[in-house]
Amino acid sequence: MELVVALGLIVFKVALLIAILLLLPLPLTWLERKIAGHMQQRMGPMRVGWHGLLQPVADGIKLLTKEDHIPAEADRFLFKLAPILALAPPFVVFAAIPFGETVSVLGNEITLYISNLNVALLFVFAVIGLEVYGVIFGGWAANSKYAVLGSLRTCAQMISYEIPMGFAVIGVVMLAQSMSLLDIVRAQSDVWNVVYQPIGFFVFFVAGLAEAQRIPFDLAEAEGDLGAGFHTEYSGIRFALFMVSEYVVMVLVSVLTVILFFGGWNGVLIPLPPLLWFLLKVAFFIYLFIWFRFTFPRYRYDQLMAIGWKVLLPLSLANIIISGVVFS
Amino acid sequence: MHAAQKLWVRTCKKTLRSRSEAAMSHALDKAGRWIGWAFFADLANGLALTFGYMFSKPVTMQYPDKEKWLPYSRYRGHHFLKRDAEGEIKCVACELCARICPCDCIEVVPYEDEKGNRRPAKFEIDTARCLFCGLCEDACPADAIALGQQYEFSSFSSRDLVIGRDDLLAKPGKAMTGGVVAARLKTERDVLVEASEPRGYNWWRNIRRK
Repeated sequence: MELVVALGLIVFKVALLIAILLLLPLPLTWLERKIAGHMQQRMGPMRVGWHGLLQPVADGIKLLTKEDHIPAEADRFLFKLAPILALAPPFVVFAAIPFGETVSVLGNEITLYISNLNVALLFVFAVIGLEVYGVIFGGWAANSKYAVLGSLRTCAQMISYEIPMGFAVIGVVMLAQSMSLLDIVRAQSDVWNVVYQPIGFFVFFVAGLAEAQRIPFDLAEAEGDLGAGFHTEYSGIRFALFMVSEYVVMVLVSVLTVILFFGGWNGVLIPLPPLLWFLLKVAFFIYLFIWFRFTFPRYRYDQLMAIGWKVLLPLSLANIIISGVVFS
Repeated sequence: MHAAQKLWVRTCKKTLRSRSEAAMSHALDKAGRWIGWAFFADLANGLALTFGYMFSKPVTMQYPDKEKWLPYSRYRGHHFLKRDAEGEIKCVACELCARICPCDCIEVVPYEDEKGNRRPAKFEIDTARCLFCGLCEDACPADAIALGQQYEFSSFSSRDLVIGRDDLLAKPGKAMTGGVVAARLKTERDVLVEASEPRGYNWWRNIRRK
């Protein structure tokens, strides 16, 4: 009986998380278009629903009912596989991410995470690295020059930025003496890691921007020079899957930044429920992503590589050495 | 101390202070540039700018279902024919407007009415061809034709755009201080027609400039 209840709880948590993550792009696209509009002195969507609130639903219906077109010369199997490969890893990563300690529902203590892996950080980086397969396959299978160019760029970009990203969190692991995200947050209950690891945070956040392929590092889909990069040839629901994965990665990077550097659900000054603190911080970073997008121009490809290898990588290595000397 | 002396001393002090301040600020500028470079001051500036714009008023006008505006009275929109004090049509069918029209879209056929005046039997403007230059208004010796502020002309058939004499007489005239121009387009009841300002809608009002 105990086992059944525990299993049922896990299934329920997984289903809830998947539902939330799948629906999250709806408010996020609305928010992004609204913020973009106001930053450009426009209004953004206004016609569907109150202040365009139902616009993402209309967009979703449009994408679902559109023709699902596959180019004649495409590799049909890989073409169909790629969106799923791009979508799955960000969802899997959330299995290892804690949203808080516990909440009591009807007298039962329920943990706000699906699993407390003791190597959660390693798991996160390993799985998020798989996302690049979706991009490569998508670009390759479409048999189109823009798609191939886009996927080549994305590959190089994601591989180059994963290295400094991985190095940047080593300082955090040193401080917490653990790779469990839960322990990392617990270790920040007094002082947030961003105080001890400002360089680490900087490197992680910039690399995260690149990892989520957001401006100023959205070389993958540079619409000015590549059509739409690796998803040029995608339409309808498959395109929607790529978009969903993009937004989930954006949320994921925000969540990781909050957990690793901004104390997770630890609050300051104002006593709010821990989960609310967590969500507020994540929302701030999501806003930051959108804010960046409508402020900065895109980096050139060689600049992107130079930043990755000549700036971020040395900085992250220096951060490890400094942390090692200071905190040992 | 005399008042003049006091003034002199004060001026001297002021000059000295401003000079040293200038030297200081130059050095600070130089250091500040480097500090700014290291901490991405230019990126922060950009972010501050877009953040400021986020809270500025949008310039969007939600035409046509929410808002509409009345153009300046000098705007050249729909044509209309005028009547004199007795309610007679002012037009004397001299055909000067038809002559001066660069796209040849006015057709006038004169006749003699019961009082012996020359009047138009037919006065047709093909607004599909009209380029709204207003030359007919300028050429008219009897001040009979003018261009108003109505601008919603769209039609599915170009035949509907040929407007005859009686229709032209029935059209609303020029709104001098911003009366409501009857919109031909079917609109919702709570459409806002911007007419509070006597000189028309000021587009630049909402644009924030430094």
